Amino acid sequence: MANSDVVVIGGGIVGSCCAYYLAKAGLKVKLVERGSICTESSKACQGHLFLWELPEINVKLGRESKKLYHQLAEELDIDIELRDTGSMSVAENPAGLNTLKTTIDELHKYGVKCELLDAKEFIKREPNISPQIVGGGYFPEDGQLNPLLTTIAIAMAAQKMGVEILTNTEVVGIELSKDKSSVKAIITSRGKIETSTVVNAAGAWSGLIGEMVGVNIPVIPRKGNLLVVGNVPDNFINCKIILASGYLDSLKGDKKVAVAANVQQTSDGSLLLGSSREFAGFDKAVNPEVISQIAKRCIKFFPALAGMQTIRSWAGLRPYSPDMLPIISDSAVKGFYVASGHEGVGITMGPITGKLITQIIMKQKTDLPVEQLNVSRFAKKK
Amino acid sequence: MSKKNNRTYEGDSDIKVENPDMIICRCEEITLKEIIQAVSDGATTINQVKRRTRAGMGLCQGRSCGRLVRKLLAERTGKKVSEILPGTVRPPVRPMPLDIMASLEEE
Ligand SMILES: Cc1cc2nc3c(=O)[nH]c(=O)nc-3n(C[C@H](O)[C@H](O)[C@H](O)COP(=O)(O)OP(=O)(O)OC[C@H]3O[C@@H](n4cnc5c(N)ncnc54)[C@H](O)[C@@H]3O)c2cc1C
Ligand code: FES
Repeated sequence: MANSDVVVIGGGIVGSCCAYYLAKAGLKVKLVERGSICTESSKACQGHLFLWELPEINVKLGRESKKLYHQLAEELDIDIELRDTGSMSVAENPAGLNTLKTTIDELHKYGVKCELLDAKEFIKREPNISPQIVGGGYFPEDGQLNPLLTTIAIAMAAQKMGVEILTNTEVVGIELSKDKSSVKAIITSRGKIETSTVVNAAGAWSGLIGEMVGVNIPVIPRKGNLLVVGNVPDNFINCKIILASGYLDSLKGDKKVAVAANVQQTSDGSLLLGSSREFAGFDKAVNPEVISQIAKRCIKFFPALAGMQTIRSWAGLRPYSPDMLPIISDSAVKGFYVASGHEGVGITMGPITGKLITQIIMKQKTDLPVEQLNVSRFAKKK
Repeated sequence: MSKKNNRTYEGDSDIKVENPDMIICRCEEITLKEIIQAVSDGATTINQVKRRTRAGMGLCQGRSCGRLVRKLLAERTGKKVSEILPGTVRPPVRPMPLDIMASLEEE
């Protein structure tokens, strides 16, 4: 295979965005994907643009990314169903409300628009919510899109700009220089591609790619199950996205399985019910116990769900980084870059990740400070 | 059904049944007779009964029939009901009411 300036590994949202912004910067890019575009986490997820995941750097990444989505929505050939929906978070008890209050206070410091609502106001805005709730929060800056269409549309736009997309092509090795200090080529199931620059955007599998060059990337899969509910009345959820306050606790990586409630109504009206977080290796089988718990919790917040039909369920593997910050970075191996570890906000942060990686590779000033996101934070101490 | 109709099924003194054609698994329309047959053929677990008869593979994933099958198995194998493992539950392949899905983990 011919050579190229940059090879991006992984055709999920992150890899597609990297390829897009690299091509836009004028580089000759190949995107290598072992399956087809958008088959893993980026296909299995919800489309919440979640702009209030702390710490502050995550908030900044999310907010910048959403601006980029608005630009992209103008340029792309496919309607990605981008909507400025806002989102809400609901508390079932005073402790939950307190967690939200602390979060909202901190977000205010960063200039994020959001407010605490009492139960009466919450129920007024969302009549389908259970009267048992004690209140919640409103996050008007959040948004929603269709993650599948978005990933595909961005990959297609990248292709239009000259990116060569190689699907059914698995990266099996990376060839380094003799002294192992820099990238020379990638070895795929369909041959070798000479390149001095590689972007590892292999999601939950990015740790395995890191092993090929001796860079420690402690990203592991964190399974999430989803249930789909069909035949739902329009505006069952006015705000489209409602998370239980317990969602914030479930993000912490301290439990093997954590289940919260996350109900999203998509543009076609159906509901996606999540969310769960589970460390179960690379197994993508739906966990029946977990989906049962999801159903139970969602019914608790939306009693009317009880009589509705679930039509499908599936699970996907989030790329979990142990400190819940993404990795957007160069590495100790010259020419080896990492764009991974976005856990539950990879859709949210796709575009900004692509843009930052491009700026890092081009040695330009980055739109946001990236030191905190460098993979060297996980370097094994010698 | 009246007490009078109760009878012991085919000489099996420990299984009280009302009618061998009684549907045990409503989702898959599996009768008591079929389940007894599966047990006679050597099934000793819920999953084995399921594989032989489809009982428990339906929409409710054994929510309604699981308990009965478990009881039958316990009686047949001389084990306690608690020793009979519940069957494996699979995600819905057909539409399923959410409240039923929500109650699956309880057993
Ligand atoms: C249930 C669920 C709900 C979610 N909801 C949201 C949400 O509402 N909002 C949000 O922002 N995020 C959400 N997420 C998270 C989001 O899905 C991920 O963060 C994001 O998709 C990660 O994108 P990615 O491109 O890094 O990974 P992926 O989409 O997994 O892509 C990685 C790609 O790399 C390929 N690959 C791996 N190894 C190789 C190899 N050796 N050679 C070639 N290719 C390889 C894979 O085939 C895959 O296509 C959710 C996730 C789940 C599971
Ligand atoms: S009654 Fe047997 S699966 Fe539903």
